Amino acid sequence: MAHILLRDLDIPDIWQFDTYVANGGYEGLKQAIGNHTPAEVIQIVLDANLRGRGGAGFPTGRKWSFIPQNEAVKYVVVNADESEPGTFKDRQLLEKNPHQVIEGAMIAAYAIQATAVYIYCRGEFWDLAHALEERIEEARQANLVGENVLGSGWNCPMFVHLGAGAYICGEESALLNSLQGLLGQPRVRPPFPAQKGGGLYYEPTVVNNVETLANVPWILVNGADAFKQIGTSESPGPKIFCMSGHIARPGNYELPLGITFRELIFEHAGGIPNGKQLKGILPSGASGPVLRATDEVLDSPLTYESVAKLGSTLGSASFILMDEDTDMVWAAAKMAHFFKHESCGKCTPCREGTYWLERIYERMMRGEGTEHDLHLLNSVPRQMVGVVLCALGDFAANPVLSTLKNFPDEYERYIRQRPVREQTADTLQDYARKEAGEHPAAVGEGGL
Amino acid sequence: MTDTVTITIDGQDFEVPKGMNLVDAAKLHGIGIPVFCYHPKLDPVGMCRMCLVELGNVAIDRTTGAPELDEQGNPVIRWFPKLQTACTQTVSQGMVLRTTSDMVVEGRENILEFLLTSHPLDCPVCDKGGECPLQNLTMAYGPGESRFIYDDKIRLAKHVPLGKLIYLDRERCIQCARCTRFCDEIVGDDVLAFHERGRRLQIVTISDPPFDTKFSGNTTDICPVGALTTTDFRFGARPWELTEVSTICPYCPVGCNLNASTRMDREFGGKAMIKRIMPRQNERVNEIWICDKGRFGHHHSRHEERLLAPLMRNKSGELVEVEWPAVYKAIAKQLKAHGDQAGFVGDSTLSNEDLWELRRLAELSGGSPRLGLWPATMSGGDVVAQVGVGSETRLQDLGPGSVILVMASDFEEEAPIWWLQVKQAADRGAKVVVANARPTKLDRYASAVIHYRYDEAVGVLNSFTAPLLSGDGQLGQGNGWGALQSDLQNAEVTHADTANLLASAENLVIFLGSEGLTLEQHAELMQAAANLLIVSGHVGRPNNGLIPVWPGANVQGAWDMGFSAEATADLLANPPALWVIGGADVAGEDIRMATALEQAEFVVVTAQFMTPTAAHADIVLPRQSFAERAGTYTNGLRRVQRFYPAQGPIGDALPDWKIFAHVSAQMGGPRPPVAAGTIFRDIAQRVERYIGMDYTRLAWFEPQFPDVGGDDLYYGGTAYSNYGGLGLQWPAEAEAEQPQFSVRPVRTAAPQTDGLTLVPVWVLFDRGHLFEKSELMHHRMPQPYAAFNPDDAARLGLTDGDRVTLAVEGHELTVTAQVGDDNPAGAVLLPRRLSGDATLSTPAACTVQKIESMQKVEG
Amino acid sequence: MLAEKYADRIQKIFAKYPDRRSGIMDLLYLAQEEYGWLTEQALEEVAALCDVDPTQAHSIAGFYTMYSEKPKGKYWLQVCTDLPCALRGADDFYAALCEFLGVEDGGTTEDGLFTVEQVMCLAACDKAPMLQCNFHYHENLDMEKMKAQIEQWRAEAAQPEQPEDERP
Repeated sequence: MAHILLRDLDIPDIWQFDTYVANGGYEGLKQAIGNHTPAEVIQIVLDANLRGRGGAGFPTGRKWSFIPQNEAVKYVVVNADESEPGTFKDRQLLEKNPHQVIEGAMIAAYAIQATAVYIYCRGEFWDLAHALEERIEEARQANLVGENVLGSGWNCPMFVHLGAGAYICGEESALLNSLQGLLGQPRVRPPFPAQKGGGLYYEPTVVNNVETLANVPWILVNGADAFKQIGTSESPGPKIFCMSGHIARPGNYELPLGITFRELIFEHAGGIPNGKQLKGILPSGASGPVLRATDEVLDSPLTYESVAKLGSTLGSASFILMDEDTDMVWAAAKMAHFFKHESCGKCTPCREGTYWLERIYERMMRGEGTEHDLHLLNSVPRQMVGVVLCALGDFAANPVLSTLKNFPDEYERYIRQRPVREQTADTLQDYARKEAGEHPAAVGEGGL
Repeated sequence: MTDTVTITIDGQDFEVPKGMNLVDAAKLHGIGIPVFCYHPKLDPVGMCRMCLVELGNVAIDRTTGAPELDEQGNPVIRWFPKLQTACTQTVSQGMVLRTTSDMVVEGRENILEFLLTSHPLDCPVCDKGGECPLQNLTMAYGPGESRFIYDDKIRLAKHVPLGKLIYLDRERCIQCARCTRFCDEIVGDDVLAFHERGRRLQIVTISDPPFDTKFSGNTTDICPVGALTTTDFRFGARPWELTEVSTICPYCPVGCNLNASTRMDREFGGKAMIKRIMPRQNERVNEIWICDKGRFGHHHSRHEERLLAPLMRNKSGELVEVEWPAVYKAIAKQLKAHGDQAGFVGDSTLSNEDLWELRRLAELSGGSPRLGLWPATMSGGDVVAQVGVGSETRLQDLGPGSVILVMASDFEEEAPIWWLQVKQAADRGAKVVVANARPTKLDRYASAVIHYRYDEAVGVLNSFTAPLLSGDGQLGQGNGWGALQSDLQNAEVTHADTANLLASAENLVIFLGSEGLTLEQHAELMQAAANLLIVSGHVGRPNNGLIPVWPGANVQGAWDMGFSAEATADLLANPPALWVIGGADVAGEDIRMATALEQAEFVVVTAQFMTPTAAHADIVLPRQSFAERAGTYTNGLRRVQRFYPAQGPIGDALPDWKIFAHVSAQMGGPRPPVAAGTIFRDIAQRVERYIGMDYTRLAWFEPQFPDVGGDDLYYGGTAYSNYGGLGLQWPAEAEAEQPQFSVRPVRTAAPQTDGLTLVPVWVLFDRGHLFEKSELMHHRMPQPYAAFNPDDAARLGLTDGDRVTLAVEGHELTVTAQVGDDNPAGAVLLPRRLSGDATLSTPAACTVQKIESMQKVEG
Repeated sequence: MLAEKYADRIQKIFAKYPDRRSGIMDLLYLAQEEYGWLTEQALEEVAALCDVDPTQAHSIAGFYTMYSEKPKGKYWLQVCTDLPCALRGADDFYAALCEFLGVEDGGTTEDGLFTVEQVMCLAACDKAPMLQCNFHYHENLDMEKMKAQIEQWRAEAAQPEQPEDERP
């Protein structure tokens, strides 16, 4: 079957405007503007039950329908801050099939009658973002973006905004702050982005993930029913699965939601290399709970609901696979380091919790872990979950609690046998403490 | 009532204003929800997570929109599964919360444990210890001990100067962002921010100068830990040793309510000594904010150069110490000898009681008393009496529908807290119109900015009034109406949009300064403002009317006691042989005054310091500062406010009123009153505006909301509750039941000369003889300069940094030239009180000479 | 001064947004390109362009990892050692790279050419080990490839006049 999203796998030159158009590109936008009112476009996407591919799985059509119609200024913001460890699907879409994302964004913009579209690319997508600006310019010259789009009288320019290295900017309200030149920290909600006061420049705003929008042109051309033929009734449509870690053929796989773990890992991605057994699965990057690769798990279908039943989350479907030799405490330490590094610091439980989790793992990596540390690992994440300002603090708890639950023996080993992983311990060491060295004096000016 | 809702807190029902923040609503009924980042004057941010509560809302049936009911017919409550932050919620009908459940208790404990993990345990040496929200909340809600390894805590710098006034201890900071939000939201000076992220998030400033705002001290009040402390108080005393005394700021017309924190101090001979100045809450005046001048400007009150004994010239012309009775006699003798040839000048730092006794003395001296006030820069006391802003005006109530016109004032420099309140009004949706000859900082918050030539000021106001009079005389009655109408009905309307904005305003407040105006021009401008307010109907009710930006703390009181700027001008024009000057450094500030005193036969001065004025005097009388005695000041909103003796007396200095009363007694007047309150009783009987007031009534107070400065400290910070009195306002004539308005046509005086005009302007951080004594503020005081427009500078061959001589009325001043685009053409802006050299009270023609021989001095 | 030298680019940046503050991130990149790192002067210039206090530019620069307020080597190598990359040998690769260049974690070579840092996930997990050099991706690396690449950079740096710095 031909790809719907990763069309570059079928047509390598699809990134070129002419190739994209020659292969049916921008038909969706033309149909939306030519044949449908904005309300009808929203209804089509609602009917298709397209769910957000950024991780939360919220129905896209409903998100669009929240936008008040009578506001003069409205925005569509494309979340291309793809920063979740193990996730690299949006990058492929934007690099290899950029016009489809531009088209999807313009359809979304038409549906809410947006006055501008911003694509927020993570700063590390430096080359990609500059190329994307050229693709947007091609679309603008073809009257698909900008002034009087396709002669409709509707104006909607599109801009690329570059982040500068902050995972938290993938959180939509932090992203909006960052776009506005403010500190990339999440906002208090309500008001939500869709509401006046909550969006970009405090105007009603739809924030959609790249992959979500890449589905939209196909839905407009082929209809909601055709979309629902793919995948399951609750989770229809194709999904890109990012495969990384211990896997024979790492990369992106576009498959219908509803296939099983086993099919994905062993049939499509080639299984575990070097004849090893699969031990741990992170189905949604570092932020979802890790699963032990049991038969029950492997035979479960990949839908938002069934993965939740297993005690994890499908999220962005970024599979990090770990074979039998993987040290799961070390893996959790790596993730604890990640979240401590990326915590924005705005709310107390996340700022302090991620810091102290990293300290505990640092001790463990130095071979100095104690029973007390195990007790702390069990309780500190619970002090964070549910009381933090945004999901990052909740995410940070997941790898800790899920590895403790699924691999208790490995933690026991760290307490009893105290293996040392010095390189990781050094990486985890907070650099302020490192600078302070052995001196108890404070870092920076002065010192008591 | 439709504007309240019922909520249930811990099983008890409360009526609260609809839409109110949940923390505030609970506080309103005495229920404390602990907070660190939330502050009732700032927007909620939900950062610290301390205010966690269990929250439930009435379930609403989606189809009907009506509340779902259970079998008993009670509304079904849908509880959030997780704890919610109260600070990010607004109340709605039927909302239910639990603030004491196990879940909440555990949640708070967890947050406190986290906050304390990286906080240093240095309470014993921390200035905040004893008045620290973190300390208090830890005692109330914290876990008994921490499970974390203390050695693993992050270590950060502990003595980081944020400028020279505020120190930051980065280890103590709990990242609540109250300080940065105060700067951003309340003041609009974005000079503090977070740097880095995560646990390394820390407060920084790289503005020039660092922490560049006039309000920096307030951040230390609202800091919920000891992270921010002032240089002034750092390691100065422990909060529990301090005695609080209510006082009033002696510097500007806002009349900020202050608290002097005092302690019997070894360094001060065991007498009570001011250790710090703190804001005292008065929601009608300064809310809970004060500027850095008010906070750090108290050092003059016990400066080593204070005059300690009366001085009198001996036969060889030297000032020598004498006893009080001798000087009383000597002054009385001189006054008797000169009869009605005496002139009297009272300073804006004199209390109403001082001024009253000075007036009584003048009356005893014969003739009609000549009572000048100082600084004599503004006219229009009568206009204020007529159309002054309505009683119970609260600047913090101005929002959508209100228009605020600020004219002829560099507002932040002249009245910082009003500036801050007007800025916030603009943020809330009030329209601000700024009119001046040059851009000022308020322009950035203005809906309309009008730049005029200084001599066009009256014309600008006339052009606002004119459209209102162009119809067929359907408008009001009163003196002068017809004349005004015929004068203005054909006037050119130069600012039609702004005129319309002002006319259609629901509320209109006009702040009027006097920049660039002579006293005569200013009198016209005040009347022009009165015309506009009366014709447009913006008088006689709260949040409408005129607020003069008087040049000092008690200028309004001076008008009320019978003093005027016109009298000062008359004293200059027809100098008396004998001068009695209360408190003012007239010679140090005004070259004309210096000349007049030189030519006088006899000069008597009350002074705190040996100012140029005192140096001119034949008798110098040591006066007490505001800190040592009681009195009242009347602010620009006509609010009469009490201040109390805070600090122990110094030397033989006496309050001015006592000095004047003793001289009066020598002149055959009554025996001197024993206390300021006695004098005030006298005032209240004789000054119509003050009838019915007395010290007891002035000291009234009531619970204010938000309840800042309560015992809990965490909610609003360490500003003090007001137990010293909220003061009383006297009503403007426009507030009478049947007000008699008088309007009259006013004209711009003939254009000034073709040459340059020297325009004196105000800067907040000046070298006035009192503020100058606060040495910690010297770094914020600009070097003396005169500012030129680039065209004028080019014509004169001047560049930035040149030394120039300004010649005005036969006097010469040497200053450094500053050249900038913002300076109006034809004017040389000369800040007052920046050097020991006297300048001018009001504008005058001047000539400028570049000093070629001298080396260029960097500004 | 950025304002004069890059008037066109600055104008294009501001044209994207309804307020000047939003231009701050692009302008910090521009300033970093011009000065090599974000010096105090750079922060002041950016702040003036955006009509904010320099403190705000300092704050933004400190929040994000791609801005540097300290000098960096001519080639700023950021190696991803996050979990997915580490599972594919990124830790060993990083250690070997440090050893080859003779620097500690986060250090700069004595000749000032290379700064080596570990960074968080760069969305190239399927092509690990990988790194970013001055924001350009280099993927599917091993030390052999890396050594060749480093030689190439050294040769490039030895050229007297470079048409264009690879620094973005």
